[in-house]
Amino acid sequence: MIKTEGLTRRFGDLVAVDRLDLEVGCGEVFGFLGPNGAGKTTTVRMLAALIAPTSGEATVAGERIGRGNREIRRKVGVLTETPGLYKRLSAADNLLFFARLHRVSSPENQVEHYLKLFVLWDRRDAAAGSLSKGMRQKLAIARALLHEPEILFLDEPTASLDPEAAKAVRDLIETLQSEERTIFLCTHNLDEADRLCDRVALFNQRLITVGDPKRLREEMYGRRTVVHLVDPRPGLEDELKLPFIKSVERLENKLIIGLEDPDRENPAVVRRLVELGADVQFVNELRMSLEDLYLDMMGGNDGAA
Amino acid sequence: MGRLRVILLKEWRESLRNKMVLFGVTFLPLLLVGVSVYMVVEGGGIDNPAAQVVLFNTSLMYFLLLPAIIPLAIAVYSIVGEKDQSTLEPLLATPISDLELFLGKALASVIPALVINWASFGLFLGVTSLFLGGLPPHVLTLPWLVAIFGLSPLLSLFAVSVTMLVSSRASDARAAYQVSSFAILPGIIPLIIYSSQKTMVNLTLIGIEAVVLLVISVILLYFAIRVFRREQILTRWK
Repeated sequence: MIKTEGLTRRFGDLVAVDRLDLEVGCGEVFGFLGPNGAGKTTTVRMLAALIAPTSGEATVAGERIGRGNREIRRKVGVLTETPGLYKRLSAADNLLFFARLHRVSSPENQVEHYLKLFVLWDRRDAAAGSLSKGMRQKLAIARALLHEPEILFLDEPTASLDPEAAKAVRDLIETLQSEERTIFLCTHNLDEADRLCDRVALFNQRLITVGDPKRLREEMYGRRTVVHLVDPRPGLEDELKLPFIKSVERLENKLIIGLEDPDRENPAVVRRLVELGADVQFVNELRMSLEDLYLDMMGGNDGAA
Repeated sequence: MGRLRVILLKEWRESLRNKMVLFGVTFLPLLLVGVSVYMVVEGGGIDNPAAQVVLFNTSLMYFLLLPAIIPLAIAVYSIVGEKDQSTLEPLLATPISDLELFLGKALASVIPALVINWASFGLFLGVTSLFLGGLPPHVLTLPWLVAIFGLSPLLSLFAVSVTMLVSSRASDARAAYQVSSFAILPGIIPLIIYSSQKTMVNLTLIGIEAVVLLVISVILLYFAIRVFRREQILTRWK
């Protein structure tokens, strides 16, 4: 659905996006993660045919950027960082305006459909400026969907929303996910990306890594089992010698054991600990978060334990 | 519905909900019609045809100011308002062309300015005739009619081009309005000079003014259209 090769954008001497190579499949929810100023919005603007790349190529929904810009804008929906609604116009008038610009065949019906889907129908005549932040964001997402785009670009859809509104927006994204739309999600909410995205890219002017969040974590940290013990004796971790164990760390009453395949190897580890006289309280898997991965990859976890 | 029409209707719908714009496009025309009628009606009692002509011409001059002033209010809020509300990017993300957007914004200001100006002019003539039992002879000359119907579109176009250029750089509507007001002055100064002379407006002066305005407007339009490119709006506008 989206393919970029060496996509680059400069603003004078500043390189905002540097040789980006990316592929996003049809129906995929793709997370584009990076700090503020990383070039995420510039990337979205290039992919939505709003600004031209300085060099490199990209194909979006089957159209080459630079040649089929108008077609691209027909086929994609963009939620910008701020909702960008006409505050004096009603919620319905805001949507009608965009539906007509997109030449939606039955604009009134389409507007009604989305206002109802996003639970905004009762507020259809209210001025957009009088709606709550969460409602405005939902209205902006509805606007991006009115013309049934093949690809939806969402730039920080839950930024600056309260937890309740953010959850409502995330639920909406999950609904869209089930409709098998391709979603390109720019966010620095890592929990959100972890929950919603099939794959994520870590990006800071250039692509750092890309992949399934779970696999990225495993590649970075391996799989680790945490065994909670009752008063383990000193040196116990040194006696725990099994051929498949990759590493053992002790943290107070816990042993953190690096394993290749915990599903298969955990029983043997527990048996060995019992043989060594340890009282096993419980066992669980240590799950590194996407945030850990992000911070380590971006170099922000230097001082972290 | 054509995209240009969609833009125009949206602009007007928004303008009707904006008290500042509504005030700008109704108060000034009504005030100038009132002042003009008062001047001419009071002057109607003067037994000096030359003085009557001067008063009438001063009044007519107002109807050459309006087409330059009215578009300012609409265009400033139309462009700075989009910036204020961060609506430009979602708008540019639609299949609308740069030219459609530019024309939509420009015509949304020019059309009401002309309609309001000519309606005000008609109101002025009607009310004046009513009070005086007809218009004084030799006041509503061909040069004036040519000026009001021929120069008005050029004055509006000139004002809109100036305002679009100024608004692309301004982040505050009031500041944009003030700067634009100063920037259009060169376009209307000749009118003030003509109206102060007894010789009054003649077709030669109108022709010169029209050519000058046209040349300046074309140059300004060239730059305004360049400023109204997607890339420029998203990366250069403040």
